[in-house]
Amino acid sequence: MQLQYFLLLAAALFCIGIYGLVTSRNAIRVLMSIELLLNAVNLNLMAFSNFLDPAEVRGQVFTVFVITIAAAEAAVGLAIVLSIYRNRDTVDMEQFNLLKW
Amino acid sequence: MIQMFVQSAWLIPLYPLLGMLLSIFWFPAITHATGPRPSGYLNVVMTLLAFTHGLLALIGLNNGQAPIEFSLPWLQVAGLDLSIPIEISSLTVGAIVVVTMLNLLAQVFAIGYLEMDWGWARFYSLLALFEAGMCALVLCDSLFFAYVVLEILTLATYLIIGIWFNQPLVVTGARDAFLTKRVGDLFLLMGVLAIYPLAGTWNFDELATWAQTAEVDPTLMSLVGLALIAGPMGKCAQFPLHLWLDEAMEGPIPASILRNSVVVATGAWVLIKLEPVLALSPFTLNACIFIGAVTALGGTLIAIAQIDLKRCLSYLVSAYLGVVFIAVGVQQVEAAFLMTLSHAFSMALLVMAIGCIIWNCITQDIRQYGGLWARRPITGIAFLVGTAGLIALPPFGGFWAMLDLGDELISTRPMLLGLLLVVNALAAFSLMRVFSLVWGNQPKPMTARSPEVFWPMTLPTVIMVGFVLHLPLILQAIGLLPDWATINKDVALLFIWSTIFGLSIGGVVFLGSYIKKPVEFPIKAVQDLLAYDFYTPKLYRSTIVLFVGILSTITAFFDRFLVDGIVNLFGTVTVFSGQSLRYSTSGQAQFYVLTILLGITFLALLVSWPLISHLSLVTS
Repeated sequence: MQLQYFLLLAAALFCIGIYGLVTSRNAIRVLMSIELLLNAVNLNLMAFSNFLDPAEVRGQVFTVFVITIAAAEAAVGLAIVLSIYRNRDTVDMEQFNLLKW
Repeated sequence: MIQMFVQSAWLIPLYPLLGMLLSIFWFPAITHATGPRPSGYLNVVMTLLAFTHGLLALIGLNNGQAPIEFSLPWLQVAGLDLSIPIEISSLTVGAIVVVTMLNLLAQVFAIGYLEMDWGWARFYSLLALFEAGMCALVLCDSLFFAYVVLEILTLATYLIIGIWFNQPLVVTGARDAFLTKRVGDLFLLMGVLAIYPLAGTWNFDELATWAQTAEVDPTLMSLVGLALIAGPMGKCAQFPLHLWLDEAMEGPIPASILRNSVVVATGAWVLIKLEPVLALSPFTLNACIFIGAVTALGGTLIAIAQIDLKRCLSYLVSAYLGVVFIAVGVQQVEAAFLMTLSHAFSMALLVMAIGCIIWNCITQDIRQYGGLWARRPITGIAFLVGTAGLIALPPFGGFWAMLDLGDELISTRPMLLGLLLVVNALAAFSLMRVFSLVWGNQPKPMTARSPEVFWPMTLPTVIMVGFVLHLPLILQAIGLLPDWATINKDVALLFIWSTIFGLSIGGVVFLGSYIKKPVEFPIKAVQDLLAYDFYTPKLYRSTIVLFVGILSTITAFFDRFLVDGIVNLFGTVTVFSGQSLRYSTSGQAQFYVLTILLGITFLALLVSWPLISHLSLVTS
């Protein structure tokens, strides 16, 4: 077990998240992709904390904060999606292009 | 007393100038109530004053008063002293007397001719401007100021031809007259500017002195000489700058009297004055002879084929000034002056006679005339006397000028003498043709009732007849006529025979009934070619006018599309880029995210490029 495998996995997860973020048409799935990104970050933090800072595990503390904030962000995100849905009756991201040129 | 008149002779141009300025008060827009006639009377009085002054000065000069030369300061700037040199000699004052006299007669003539016209003030003020200009031209003894006056006269020509500007042909005629003369004048300006570094002076006398000893590059001198004859070429309506005189016949006849007799002679005056300078380059002299010869021959031939009464005479003006060019080309200054003088008198008389006819026969078409001799004897005699004075018919003026020239030519250039004989015969034929068609034969509808004109037109005509008849006596009195013993009688006989030949053929063809009228030349194309002035308008339009037209179209196109276009292109490109780049703001939040990520990736690659470039995938 080596650090770079964790980092590669996290990077792969991050990339999958990015892909989902820019291609998903469903707004909920965009939020889910963001969660994927945050989890990739968490993986990174945990791996670094485990391999480079086993004594003080500051990475784990960061991870706890990230999870907390991610939960709050997801709540706000879902609220936004809900309020858009109430107005426009859809969650299709391609319908939300009102603020163009 | 007389001495005072001689010394103040330089004031003569100011009389007509004053008349010109005062005429303004009778413009219809200023004086509504009383009509414009006083402006005419005023100008006649002013001209009379100028004439009297000139005559008294001339008497003074002939009585032994020494010629006066002085200069009026005009402008002194660094290295250039532009003073106006004035020469009051018997030659210049004599020229002034001729000019003012012809003006006086033309103005009195115009009192009659413009009886039913409202434009007296404008007409007379322009005549006065001409008079002043011509007097100033002969007085100022400087090439530079001669040029200044010539240009002012060019403008005046434009205005006086365009006096009845509601007629379309007048407008085009005035345009052509201005531009054609302007082109010549601009070439003259090149010559004037080029001669200053060579001679260091513009004074005619000093130029003559300089020319006696000058050592100049022949090519340079030829070019300068050509430029210097180009000005008089345009002024004297010489080939190929001759079309304007034809079109200038659209103006009123009193102005034509002046133009045909004296205004065109202003160019000849400058040319004659420049003869010493032109003599520096044999090439220039030959060019002068060539132009004169072509114009003389072409002018007389064209005059024969005209049907417009005024144009029959205008081409003869070109032809006779061509003879002056020939005279200058063979360095016969005296013959040139004599020719200019006798031509001015005779041509003024001819145009007056024609004007008297046209005034109450309306038409100018010579084919509609006929049988006027019985009812218009005075005008007919005037025309005959003018004819006699113009062609080489002894003892009248034109003969002596031709003889003077012929004497020189018979030994040096017999070919040119032959040409002069032909020109003389053709001119005689042409004038005889006009006389026969207008005064001879049977009356036609347009001339069925044609009374003699009233006194203001008859009087100057008759006085002019007197002048033309007395010209030989005047010439004899001032010693310009050669002694009968020294005359080359062969040349004299040749000229007389050519005159008789021309006159009799003209009489036989147009008075007799042997040839069907209208006369048709065996070759129709040649007749048309001459009648249409060698198609000169087409020639102009297909060469110079076409070239300048195309060039200006191209330039305008270049300016409008290329120069303006480049600047406009920058604006257009900026607008277009703004218009098209705004689509990058797609409204898709995911697209923004992608842009952010791409940006970050790009920046990260940029920052970490040193590291990545050393990376090797294969570990060794």
